[in-house]
Amino acid sequence: MKKRFLALALVASMCVSLAACGNSGSKETEGTAANSSASETTASGQTEAEGDPVKGGTLTISLSASPSKLDPIHYSGTYESQIIKEVCDTLIEYNSDLSEYVPALATDWTVSDDGITYVFNIRQGVKFQKGKYQDGREMTAEDVAYSLNRSGELSDSNRLSMLDKAEATGDYEVTCTLKSANSSFLTALTDGGNAIVPKEEVEGWGDDFGSHLIGTGPFAMESFQLDQQAVLKKNADYWMGEPNLDEVIFKVITDSTQAANALQTGEVDIAMDLKGESVQKVKDNADLTLLETPGLHVAYVYFNMEQGPTADIKVRKALIEAVNVEEMVSSLYKYGEAQNASLPLPPGSWGYDASLESKVPGYDPEDAKKLLAEAGYGDGLTLDLYISDTEVRQNMAVLLQAYWAQVGVTLNIHASEWGTFSEVAMSNNADVYGMSWTWYPDPYFFLNKLFSTEEWGGIGNGQHYSNAKVDELLQKALEATEQSDRADYYKQALALIVDDLPGLFYANENVIYGVDGRVHDFIQRADGTIKLVTPENNVWVTD
Amino acid sequence: MLKTILKRILQSIPTLLIVITITFVLTRMIPGNPARTILGPQASAQDIAEMEIKLGLNKSKLEQYADYMIGILHGDFGTSYVYNRPVTSLIAERIPNTLVITLTSLVIAIFIGVGIGVLSAIKQYSILDYIFMILALVGVSMPIFWLGLMLVNLFSVQLGWLPALGMGSMSKGIGDVISHMVLPCFCLATIPTATFARITRSSMLEVIHSDSIKALRARGIKESSIIWKHALKNALPPIVTVLGLQLASAFTGAILTESIFSWPGMGTMIVSAIDNRDYMLIQGTVLFIAVVFVVVNLLVDVVYMIINPRVSYDSKGGN
Repeated sequence: MKKRFLALALVASMCVSLAACGNSGSKETEGTAANSSASETTASGQTEAEGDPVKGGTLTISLSASPSKLDPIHYSGTYESQIIKEVCDTLIEYNSDLSEYVPALATDWTVSDDGITYVFNIRQGVKFQKGKYQDGREMTAEDVAYSLNRSGELSDSNRLSMLDKAEATGDYEVTCTLKSANSSFLTALTDGGNAIVPKEEVEGWGDDFGSHLIGTGPFAMESFQLDQQAVLKKNADYWMGEPNLDEVIFKVITDSTQAANALQTGEVDIAMDLKGESVQKVKDNADLTLLETPGLHVAYVYFNMEQGPTADIKVRKALIEAVNVEEMVSSLYKYGEAQNASLPLPPGSWGYDASLESKVPGYDPEDAKKLLAEAGYGDGLTLDLYISDTEVRQNMAVLLQAYWAQVGVTLNIHASEWGTFSEVAMSNNADVYGMSWTWYPDPYFFLNKLFSTEEWGGIGNGQHYSNAKVDELLQKALEATEQSDRADYYKQALALIVDDLPGLFYANENVIYGVDGRVHDFIQRADGTIKLVTPENNVWVTD
Repeated sequence: MLKTILKRILQSIPTLLIVITITFVLTRMIPGNPARTILGPQASAQDIAEMEIKLGLNKSKLEQYADYMIGILHGDFGTSYVYNRPVTSLIAERIPNTLVITLTSLVIAIFIGVGIGVLSAIKQYSILDYIFMILALVGVSMPIFWLGLMLVNLFSVQLGWLPALGMGSMSKGIGDVISHMVLPCFCLATIPTATFARITRSSMLEVIHSDSIKALRARGIKESSIIWKHALKNALPPIVTVLGLQLASAFTGAILTESIFSWPGMGTMIVSAIDNRDYMLIQGTVLFIAVVFVVVNLLVDVVYMIINPRVSYDSKGGN
């Protein structure tokens, strides 16, 4: 009996202790699908579109985690939004290089001078996919107002929190009133979380709507098996034109090595999130294409701005000067999967200001030692670094440990899976934490989230950065309606942030896909969103 | 015997209560908060607070525990935070998939493992015996994760004989289903096969050197009949004990195997439940595995009583 009990306890504790070695670190960069505007530096990877498109066939895409909540208002990961955005449409979209908004379910729109009222003209003749509670009827202004209000009130992630109300002011006209001027509204509308859905289906299915998602998109949900796959069938009546593909399968493959293997065996046609050696494997295989685009991504270590030694700007400067960023990035990303960075905003964002790069201290270990001595740490100091347990983060931590040891700083590394890591990072309890950030190219989604005082307690600003002038500029940028004015404010804010040296922003990772040679006319987007049918492309496959 | 079984069932109740409590405490001790994990990195403090209320995590731990216990007494094992569905229905949906590979691999393991064990015992200290026992030693110490990826690399990527992952579909025929099962079952069977081989060998050795077997030989009974009929039967009890343990641990082994092969069973569900801090689902699945453990052990004891009537669990009388 005693032995059996011990065995039971062991099973219980084994299951739980898996938490300490789980593989969800990847969540870090999968928070939200990043869509957005203007980015001159963003090139797009693309597969050949030559030849006559072939109708029919199946395209299989790997997803790194299982979608579980496909109701737009409940989704939380990019792997979920990929499916939502094939089944549903949003009011507006971004074009493939994310340089401008393009009409989708709205044909055009106007914004009032005070930035509070938005009026959208809704496309006519768009049909919903057939479902249990409606028979493929036309989408109307009422559906748009219903979907937006629903998201405004119920979205788990408050994806439309700036919306006061949306009203159908005509058969094909919707008027949205915001609580206060907020320029991130249009960007938010491109999010799968704010997709347009039919009321009957939502109310008919209730909590189960996600498993029976219905929208106006190019593909309709055929079946959804948790942790296994989602099968989509083409919507022949799609308003933009008939999709070339008959079927799209999103297959869940959590292990990234296995995703690369499945690409090689032909079990999937597109493998996302390739890393390390898998990148080389795809490069070496003549049947596969490696698509690579600079991502809207920043990898960084963030210093505690309020407590401990790093509250002193001299210490922060010393820690930055102690690291040879170029050397570190080239050894971390051996296959060229990232570029060196210096600012907390990706170059693909329209708020980026290259002239600020020179303000970031360069590699100077001698000066670093001097600064540490001045700050009272001539005899050295000990810091705790917190990271999630992904390979790239762990390698970074080891390099950082070596660089900082050269200037007399002892670094203790604490690597844990995402849930544990985020708990520490959000609570202002880490001397230093290392992670990455990726979202829309609208600077709001980087600068506000990482540096606004309002974001204390979120993982963006878990280190309690606070600068009244920065807060003021960020607010002004949010209220301005002209993008050029907004960019100006963001650049000013960015300059102040760089002066405060809140962290070491070292790399911009690329979006990397492995694609089978049979896939044609596929356009890779810097935000990592997969769009199979757009005004610019209509993916097709050969056998 | 019925009385003994009933008694054993009653005895398992406190054990399960302790398991429930330990699991409850341990899941709450994992750092990380389900609301934060569900909402993703960009969630604000306010979003998280709202989600906590929705999930009932704003209540005190004691209240949560009481709610959970009362629920169990009413047959309600809670609702998964992430999937928003009753834990029992999620488990019921996954368990057939896990049983398919665990049972298949155990059957393979029994036949191959016992066969090897018997052969090794008969040919003790022969080259064959050494080869088998070295293989068995390698087998029990094999890191399953590594083995799985190597098998995929060889049989799927290089040779292209078998699919790398996933579960086949009956709509594509039985061949598709079986081809998808080969690698995961091979992986899952490795450790049990080696274990059976080792235990069978040592148990058989003990038996074939016993006086009863010598007596059979003296009576001139055919050697093959002595080995497979008489000796093996007497060597069975330790093998059955190990079988029980292996069945239960195959469930935990499935956690790794299913993750590698994207096999939609209990294992992948437990891993994602832990990653997502889906407390209800973690508690439900651990409890389920505990119940399996208890039931299997009970069955083992019953089988034990049948194959070896000298064993009695009835402390009072005996037979």
